[in-house]
Amino acid sequence: MKKYWHLFKVQLINSLAYPGELIGRSLVIFPFMWIFYQLWKVTFAANGSTEINGLTFPMTLWYLMIAETIELSRPRLANTISEAVKDGSIAYTLNKPYNFLLYHFSTSMGETIFRALVNALLGSALVWWLVGAPPSLLGWPLTLLTMLGAWTLNFCLSAFIGLAAFIVEDTSAFQWIYQKMAFILGGLLIPLDFYPEWLQAIAKALPFASMTYGPARLFVSPTIPAFLSTLAMQAIWILVLAILLTITYRRNISHLALNGG
Amino acid sequence: MSSIKFILAIWKTNLQAAMEYRASFLTQTIGMMLNNTMYFIIWVVFFDRFKDVRGWGLSDMYVTFGVSASAFGLVALFFGNAFNLGDIITKGRLDYYLSLPRPVLMHALASRSVSSGMGDFLYGILSFIASGIFTWDAMLRFSLATLSGAVVFASFLIIVQSLAFWIGNSSNLSGLATNAMITFAIYPITIFDNSAKIILFTIIPAALMGAVPASFARAFTWQTLAQLLLGASLLLIIAVNIFHTGLKLYESGSAIQTEI
Repeated sequence: MKKYWHLFKVQLINSLAYPGELIGRSLVIFPFMWIFYQLWKVTFAANGSTEINGLTFPMTLWYLMIAETIELSRPRLANTISEAVKDGSIAYTLNKPYNFLLYHFSTSMGETIFRALVNALLGSALVWWLVGAPPSLLGWPLTLLTMLGAWTLNFCLSAFIGLAAFIVEDTSAFQWIYQKMAFILGGLLIPLDFYPEWLQAIAKALPFASMTYGPARLFVSPTIPAFLSTLAMQAIWILVLAILLTITYRRNISHLALNGG
Repeated sequence: MSSIKFILAIWKTNLQAAMEYRASFLTQTIGMMLNNTMYFIIWVVFFDRFKDVRGWGLSDMYVTFGVSASAFGLVALFFGNAFNLGDIITKGRLDYYLSLPRPVLMHALASRSVSSGMGDFLYGILSFIASGIFTWDAMLRFSLATLSGAVVFASFLIIVQSLAFWIGNSSNLSGLATNAMITFAIYPITIFDNSAKIILFTIIPAALMGAVPASFARAFTWQTLAQLLLGASLLLIIAVNIFHTGLKLYESGSAIQTEI
C-alpha cells in the first residue's frame, strides 16, 4: 500500500504547483453561493417562516456551501479514463506494477484535498459574510470525515463510468447523467428535506444522498447518531460498489482497444 | 454574399463530419436532452414545494430554460469554437485563420461544431412546448427570442475569451464568467434586487439570454422587442470590436504548418 500512499502524496504536491489556477478554479463557488443566497432569501421570505422542515435560512446556505464544495472538488475521473483510452495513453498506466483502480483512487484523492480546502475557504468566507457564522463547531470534524467517504463513493461511481470507455470510448453522456443524478438525488441544489417524502425515501436509500446530503446536513445539524448513520450508509455502498467495480474492471479490460499512444 | 456562402460551406462540412460518426452524434444529442430533463426535475420539485417565487412559476421556468437551452445549443452547434477561442489565441492557432482570405473571427468560431448542442437546441423547443403557452405565433416569438439569446451568448463568449489577447491564459476567468452567465440566465429573475439586475443587464448580460427573451416569447411588447434587438446588436458590436482590437496584439510562434 506504500506505493499508493506515495502516489497520493505526489498528486497532492502536484495540485499545489499552480496555486493561481487552484484558486481561479474555485472562484466559481462565488456566483453559485450568491445565487443560492438570492433564491433562498426570497423563498424563506415568501414562505413567511424562519424555518422550513428543520432548516433555517442560514442553515440552508451553509448546507449548500458544503454540498457545492463536495461537488466542485470531485475529480472528473471518468473523463480522465475516457481521454486516456481515446489517445492510447492508458497503455502507460496499465503496464505499470500497480493496480489500475487503486492508482486512480490514490491520484484522484490527492487531486481533491486542496481543491476542497480552497473551495471551502472561499465558500465559507462568502456565506459567513452573507448569513453569519456556521451553526456548530462539531459540524466541521464530522463533515470532514464523511466527506472522505463521499469522495470514495464518487470515485467508485466515476470509475464505473470511466471503465465504460473501454467499450464505448466516449462517456460524456454517462457523465452528464451521473452528475444530474447526484444533483437531484444528492440534494445539491435543494436540500432533500424540502423534497416530497416519497422522493426523500428513494434518495436516502441510494448512494447519492451519502455523497452530498449526508455530509452537508451533518454540518448544520451535527449529531452522533446522524454521523454514524451516514458513515454506515457510505460503508455499505462503498463495499457493494468496490466489489462490482473489481468485477467490471476484469471483464472490461478484455474489450479494451487502443487507438494510439 | 461570399461570406454567407463561406459560412454555409463550413456548416455543411461540420455536419458531414458529425454524420461520419452518427452513433456518437445521436448519443450526444439524446444524452444532452436527458441531461437537461434531469436538471429540470429540480425545478419541478422546487415549484411543487414552494409554488412560486415572487410571481415566477414553473411555466415561466419552462420558457426561460427553453430559450436559454436553445440559444446555448445554437452557439454550440454553429459557433462551437466560441467556447475555446481563448485557447486558440494563447496557443497561436489563430495563425491558420489569419493566413486565409476570410473573416477571421467568423471562420474561427464556425470551424467547430459541438454535437451535444443539438440536444440543447431540441430540448429548448420541447421545454417551450411543455410550458403550456404554445401557439404558432408564440413559436415565432420563441424563435426570434432564441436567435437573439444566441447572439448575446456568443458575443459574451467572444468578449471573455478575447481577454486572452491581453492576459494570456484566461481559461479560469472565462470558465467562471461562462458558468455565471449560464447559471444566472436559468434562474428566476424575480429573485434579484435592482442592483443585481443592473449586473445582469450589463457585466454578465444573463437577463438578455434568459429572462428578457423568455418574456418576449410569452407575450409580444414593443419594449421587450427593442430590449432584445438593441441588447443583442450592441453586444455583438462590442464583441467584434474587442476581438479586433485584441487581434492587433496577437503574437505567435507560427502554427501554420501544424494546423494545415
